[in-house]
Order: sequence, then C-alpha cells, then structure tokens
Amino acid sequence: MSETKETGPSEETGKKKVKMNLNRLEMPKQEPEVRRRNFDEVATGYTYEMTMEEASRCIQCKKRNCQQGCPVNIDIPDFIKHLQDGNIEAASKVLKAKTSLPGICGRVCPQELQCENSCTLNKKGAPVAIGRLERFIADWERTSGAVSKPELAPSTGKCVAVVGTGPSGLTVASDLAIRGHQVTMYEALHVAGGVLMYGIPEFRLPKEIVQREVQYVSSLGVDIHLDTVIGINYSLDELLNTKYQAVYLATGAGLPQFLRVPGENLNMVYSANEFLTRTNLMKAYLYPEYATPVKMGRKVAVIGGGNVAMDSARCAVRLGAQEVYVIYRRTRQEMPARLEEVENAEEEGIHFHFLCNPTGFISDGRNNVSAMELVRMKLGEPDASGRRRPVPIEGSEYTMDVDTAIISLGTSPNPLIASTTPDLETSRWGTVITDERGKTSKARVWAGGDIVSGGATVISAMGEGRRAASAMHEFLSQ
Amino acid sequence: MFPIVAHEELAPNVHRMTVKASVVAEKAQPGQFVILITDEKGERIPFTISGWDAARGTVDFVYIEVGKTTRQLGALRPGDELAHFVGPLGKPAEVDHYGHVVAVASGYGAAAILPVLRALKEKENRITTILQAPDRERAFCAEELEQASDRLILALGSPGEEMTVSATRPLRKILANHPQNPVHRMVVMGSLCLMRVISEMTRPYSIKTMVHLTPLMVDGTGMCGACRCSIQGKNRFACVHGPEFDGHEVDGWDVLMARRCTYADESILQQSFQCRGCSQW
Ligand SMILES: Cc1cc2nc3c(=O)[nH]c(=O)nc-3n(C[C@H](O)[C@H](O)[C@H](O)COP(=O)(O)OP(=O)(O)OC[C@H]3O[C@@H](n4cnc5c(N)ncnc54)[C@H](O)[C@@H]3O)c2cc1C
Ligand SMILES: Cc1cc2nc3c(=O)[nH]c(=O)nc-3n(C[C@H](O)[C@H](O)[C@H](O)COP(=O)(O)OP(=O)(O)OC[C@H]3O[C@@H](n4cnc5c(N)ncnc54)[C@H](O)[C@@H]3O)c2cc1C
Ligand code: SF4
Ligand code: SF4
Ligand code: FES
Repeated sequence: MSETKETGPSEETGKKKVKMNLNRLEMPKQEPEVRRRNFDEVATGYTYEMTMEEASRCIQCKKRNCQQGCPVNIDIPDFIKHLQDGNIEAASKVLKAKTSLPGICGRVCPQELQCENSCTLNKKGAPVAIGRLERFIADWERTSGAVSKPELAPSTGKCVAVVGTGPSGLTVASDLAIRGHQVTMYEALHVAGGVLMYGIPEFRLPKEIVQREVQYVSSLGVDIHLDTVIGINYSLDELLNTKYQAVYLATGAGLPQFLRVPGENLNMVYSANEFLTRTNLMKAYLYPEYATPVKMGRKVAVIGGGNVAMDSARCAVRLGAQEVYVIYRRTRQEMPARLEEVENAEEEGIHFHFLCNPTGFISDGRNNVSAMELVRMKLGEPDASGRRRPVPIEGSEYTMDVDTAIISLGTSPNPLIASTTPDLETSRWGTVITDERGKTSKARVWAGGDIVSGGATVISAMGEGRRAASAMHEFLSQ
Repeated sequence: MFPIVAHEELAPNVHRMTVKASVVAEKAQPGQFVILITDEKGERIPFTISGWDAARGTVDFVYIEVGKTTRQLGALRPGDELAHFVGPLGKPAEVDHYGHVVAVASGYGAAAILPVLRALKEKENRITTILQAPDRERAFCAEELEQASDRLILALGSPGEEMTVSATRPLRKILANHPQNPVHRMVVMGSLCLMRVISEMTRPYSIKTMVHLTPLMVDGTGMCGACRCSIQGKNRFACVHGPEFDGHEVDGWDVLMARRCTYADESILQQSFQCRGCSQW
C-alpha cells in the first residue's frame, strides 16, 4: 500500500508544496515462533537503506512539533536533516548534544506518546519513526567505532557525587563531567545501569548497548564505584561532609509492591524484581554457564498491566513456560504498558485476562503455589488519576491452576537513604520531594528519576537529570 | 577486585576466608553479612561476617561447602581475588545488657555468632553457649566460643534426625532451672530447623529468642523481595529489616524453609540437608 498526499502551503513548511509520504517503514522483527525460544533482540533495526528512506519522509517542519514532544528536547529535525544528507556522524553529534544514551532511548522510549505523537505527520496517522532512526544512528556509531565525544570544559576542581547509575544518574554524571566537574558515581549492585540492566530484558535492550553507554560516561572522566551502598557504606551526610560539594540522588524506585493476599509468600510466587533480576542481571537464561538459576513452571500467571508485567511474561515464555497469563484488573485500554510491547506479547502467545484480580494463592500441600483465587472486576467511578476504578463483583470468585506467579504491580523508592537522612523531605509514598529543578529540602542535594516520580520512564528520568544538572552547575559555579 | 588475604580449613569442608575490603571493614557490626560474587558469571551469595579488622581493612567469614559457589570458594588461595564483595548488609544484631544470655550455634553459626557474643560480653552479660556439631572434629570454633562465653556446652550428635535437635537436650536442662537460674535472652544462629525448634522451646517461658534468618537472597539491598519473611503477619525483608528477628514473631516457618530450598537439588553436597517439612524433597 502506497500513499502520497499533496499538502497545500502550510505554516510548518513555508511556501513550498511538500509531498507527504505516509508509508512509515516497519522495523524487521524476529518471527514470534523463533523469538519465543531465544533472548536475542526482537526488533532487528533498520538497515542503512531503510533509514534513508524513513528519514526522507520528514518534511523538516519549521514549528518543530516533534522536538517539543521529546522530554529532553532533542533537535529532531536537525539530526534527520543530516541523515537525509547522508551524514550520520553529524546526525550523531546532534543527538549527543541532548542525550548521552541514544541507543537506549531509541529502543525503550514510549515514542508513541512523546516525539512521534507530536510529529506533524502523526495527524495523518504515520509519524516519522524518530526512535528507530535514533537507534540506527547509535548502533551505527557503536559498530563503526567512531564514537564522538564532546569537548570537556576545563576542570573546575569541584566534586560531585551521583548515587545510582540508572539513566538519571548517568545523565547528570555526563552533563556535569562535560562542564568540568569531577564526578563520582556510587552503585549498590555489581553492575552499572540500574533498571536498564536488572529490569528491562536483553531481547528489548541488549545489555552490551547499556554497557557501551556506561563506558561512554566513564570515558568522560567519571569514576564509577560499584558494590557501594549509600546509606550503608557512606551516609548522605558523610558524602557531603567529606569531598563533595553537591550530591545527586538517583536511586530509582526499587522496592517491590505486593498484593498482600494470603499465600503470597508460597514457593514459586516471585516478585517481578526478583524474577527479572535473576533472568536479566544475573543471566539465569544462560544457566549453568552463569551460576544463578531461575525456576520456571509450566503455567504462569503474571499479575499487573505495565511494562514490567509484559517483560516478566515474555521472559517466562522464553524460559520455557507452556502457558503464560497476564492478569490485569482493568481493561486493555487502561493498561499502562507500551502498545508495541503488548502486541509483541500477544504475538508470542501470551494470554490476557482482563477485569480480574487475585485474592489469594493456594498451596499444593508442600508450600508450592498450585492455584490462584480470583475475583472478577468491573470499572466504577474514575479515581484521582482519572482512570475508572476497578471494583470487585460480589460472588464472582473463581480459581485458576498455576504453578508459578509473578507479582508485577510496580515499585516504590527504597527507603534506605531516606531512613538514614532525617532531614531529607519525602512524601507519604516515600518519594523524595524536590522543586521543578530537582532541588531537595536538604542543602546541596538534588534528586531525580524514579526516586522522585515513583516509577516513570527512562527519558523522564534523563530529563529530570538534565534539569538538575544545570541547576547543580549554576550552584557549583557560584 | 577483592583479594583474599587468608584462607584456612577449620574442619572438613568448612573454611574461614579473609578478604581485603576496607569499605566493608570500616562499618561492620555484629550480625551483619556480606554478599560476594566469585567471578563475572557467578551468583550473588550471602555470608555472615565472622570478624573484621578496620585498621587492616579486612573482613572474614566462615563457610560450609554445600554447592557450586561454596565449592568454588574452597579452591581459591590467598592472592586470588573475588570479583565483588558488598556489605555490611542487614541490621546489626541487637546488643544490650540483659543479664544471662543463652546462645545456641550450629554449622557456620559457630563462627558467625562470635562477634555478637563478644559485643554481648562487652555489655556485661553472662553468656552460656551451646555448640551443636556432629562430632568433636567438626565442632570448629569451640575454643573461640569458650573464650567469648562464660560457659560452653558441646552438644554432639550424629548427622540426621538426632543432630538436628541435639542442642535441645542441654537447653531443656537450662530451661528447667528457669526462673530460679533465669535466662534473660536467647540468640540462635544455625539451620532454620534448629532456630525454629529452639524458638518453640522458649515460647512457653516468654524468653526473647533472637534468630538469624537465611532465606534466599539476590540483591541484599531490599530491591528484589526474594528474602521476604512473614513476621507477625507482615512481610519483612531479611536483608534490610533483618536478618535478626524475634523467633516468636516469625510465622510461616514452613513456607520460609520451603522457599529456602527452592533451588536445592542433587547438586547439594551437604548430607542431611534433607530436612523435615521441606517441600522440595
Ligand atoms: C521491567 C521494567 C521495564 C521498563 N520498561 C520501560 C520502557 O520500556 N520504557 C521506559 O521509558 N521505561 C521503562 N521502565 C522504567 C524505567 O526503567 C525507569 O523509569 C528508569 O530506569 C528510572 O531511572 P532512574 O535512573 O531513576 O533509576 P534506576 O534505573 O532504578 O536506577 C537506580 C540505581 O540506583 C541504585 N541504587 C539504589 N539504591 C542505592 C543506594 N542506596 N546506593 C547506591 N546505589 C543505589 C540501584 O541499584 C540502581 O542501579 C521500565 C522499568 C522496569 C522495572
Ligand atoms: C543472611 C545470610 C547469611 C549467611 N551466612 C552464611 C555463612 O556465614 N556461612 C555459610 O556457610 N553460609 C551462610 N549462608 C548460606 C549461604 O549463603 C549458602 O550456603 C550459599 O548460598 C550456598 O551457595 P552454593 O552456590 O555453594 O550452593 P547452591 O548449590 O547454590 O545451594 C545450596 C543451598 O544453599 C542455599 N542458598 C543458595 N543460594 C543462596 C542465596 N543466594 N541465599 C541464601 N541461601 C542460598 C539454598 O538453601 C540452596 O538450596 C547465609 C545465608 C544468608 C541468607
Ligand atoms: S529521546 Fe525519546 S522522546 Fe526524545 S526524540 Fe528520542 S525517542 Fe523521541
Ligand atoms: S519529525 Fe515530524 S514533526 Fe519533526 S520535522 Fe520531521 S515531519 Fe516535522
Ligand atoms: S535479597 Fe532482595 S530484597 Fe532482600
């Protein structure tokens, strides 16, 4: 199907008549039957030719709608222009000016809600595939070995500590390093990258790519201390009282939530964090080459409707589960997961049960889960978030046999630092309270990412990092 | 990387390893633990700190060879390095002046309880320690325990059913004299079975009995939820809220033991691992 539309003179494009090409190029993917059996990346990425073709669809709008839709304000028309001219290196420089993690954003950003949603061509239904273009540029730069590095400002002699090496921390570290500050990062785990390493699976975001981006940040002169837990090895006050003029907290939202129903601690009831950490960070899918195992049953229920639930379900399939069910208490429309991932999950044979909620787990008599009790739900009045609140339908209880359950309800911030820092103001959800530029209630301390928002996106965590970094730079320059 | 500075065999398949890790040594407290990874393909494995030297920046722990990682550790020599070593994790053991404290240790607990006993001694408690072991040869750390306590009782029993409970015999005698010769507090570090049995023994006497729980752990920082235990009906993470808990408040020992054995299989070297009430056998 090919479609080209003639537009009249338009504001965006000046006087010229522009042809709108609405053939958004699909990205090649591994066939569902094949990818169900491996952890390789599902979407294999545009080729050079595809990239050029897709880039040519951009009509270079003057108004730059797309750019406004991007939380870190990437100069999208400019990098696409360079692509149209065949200058990938220049395109890469434009990207790097606003994001140090283009290979990651291009893969996991919810573009359909952000840049691509705002693209002028979206009004006609086929936005430029901005994310895929970004991904191509990042991968090209990675494989060609020509990694471009920004110029570093002369050293200011100021020291900054960044706690947590997820996307928010990495952004602040690189922004401040570029401005000449000496940055040290602290990470509790044995690998840097945060959720990008322990949560999001290899088949959506290859870990090698995350590690390249981490190496890039350390190539800017940033020291990364792994195996160091702030709140244990050093308190926040110790950091502030020793070598650091300022601290950025980016410890994410790593505390798993549970349903609080009977039987939830039975054997083979996992939290998504445990299940995904074993599978992704510890590479249990390569057991026994890697020493960490993950036990997987035949019939698996994944509770929840977000990205975490999709990732859990899709990992379960790949680890050999026969049947995987996603159990969500609202309907498909309310699911917070990215549409693309829901479709991928469906293609991979995952079943969805909407409008039902577990009320308990039943033991097989030997403390392994053997069944789940559920109640059917209906949507009632809208709640504070504007979504209609699910309410249980009385008398609709039923049971479902399962031998594995994965609780993927979302997370809240780990209280470790807040509990050891009495003068750091937090909300009743445990999130750290900041102003719009990331400043916390505590002197010389900024925060951003999931520890502030309580579980959002990679790019918003980066955006908050970017704003905080500029505020911190102003403070350090005084 | 974290170099091994000393490694000695205390008993067959039991070793003490001393590791250079000044960040850990600086903050270590009795009852806390570390998580280590031997190499980039290794598992994260928790061990209780059995001693440390802040000045030299070293930390030691005693481990029993039971499976893949502990066997790997057994083959390492001083000068070799561990890829990762993080800690001190968990809350320190509660230590105060109580009066007469009875401690029960088995397995690696014989070594891991030492820092707790020394801290209790500093608070001028009178300490009676019961060390449970299959035989004299495997009653490692007996001398150190004797020094750290006012009285040491050896409870030897052959592996299997009898050994699981051999510490209960001397304890029963001590409890029979309570409250004339009162016991003010108990500390137990050993297998989950032993900690459970002792908690049930002291419950009728309302003697506060602290146990050191060892559920499966992954991150050890409160992120994964693998180590969750039901404590008075509430979910608690052993790695951040524990590992020390009041044994009388632990509910669902059966579930805890079953979860601990999720990955127990043929590969386990330790005999008599196959305990009662375990769902995996
Ligand atoms: C399974 C899953 C799938 C997701 N999918 C998507 C997606 O497709 N698209 C998207 O945009 N977003 C997705 N998200 C959300 C996104 O990953 C997060 O919003 C983002 O990673 C938050 O970044 P952050 O830097 O705030 O924190 P994190 O990435 O959580 O990193 C925090 C880091 O701090 C470390 N840390 C914590 N406490 C301490 C301490 N006391 N001392 C030292 N270090 C500490 C942690 O170990 C961690 O490495 C997903 C999340 C999950 C869990
Ligand atoms: C807080 C805590 C403190 C501990 N302190 C000590 C100690 O001081 N000395 C000592 O010898 N052992 C200690 N353990 C137990 C020790 O972690 C296990 O013996 C070790 O993990 C076995 O690893 P493996 O690879 O050799 O055996 P595997 O073959 O992997 O497993 C053998 C058995 O060990 C247990 N185990 C395995 N992995 C873990 C894990 N990640 N967390 C907890 N248990 C596990 C399981 O019951 C498993 O079935 C402690 C455990 C915890 C949770
Ligand atoms: S960073 Fe994300 S939102 Fe911004 S342009 Fe790239 S894909 Fe779009
Ligand atoms: S990406 Fe879309 S909005 Fe942006 S310049 Fe191109 S056509 Fe216009
Ligand atoms: S080990 Fe992961 S939360 Fe305790």
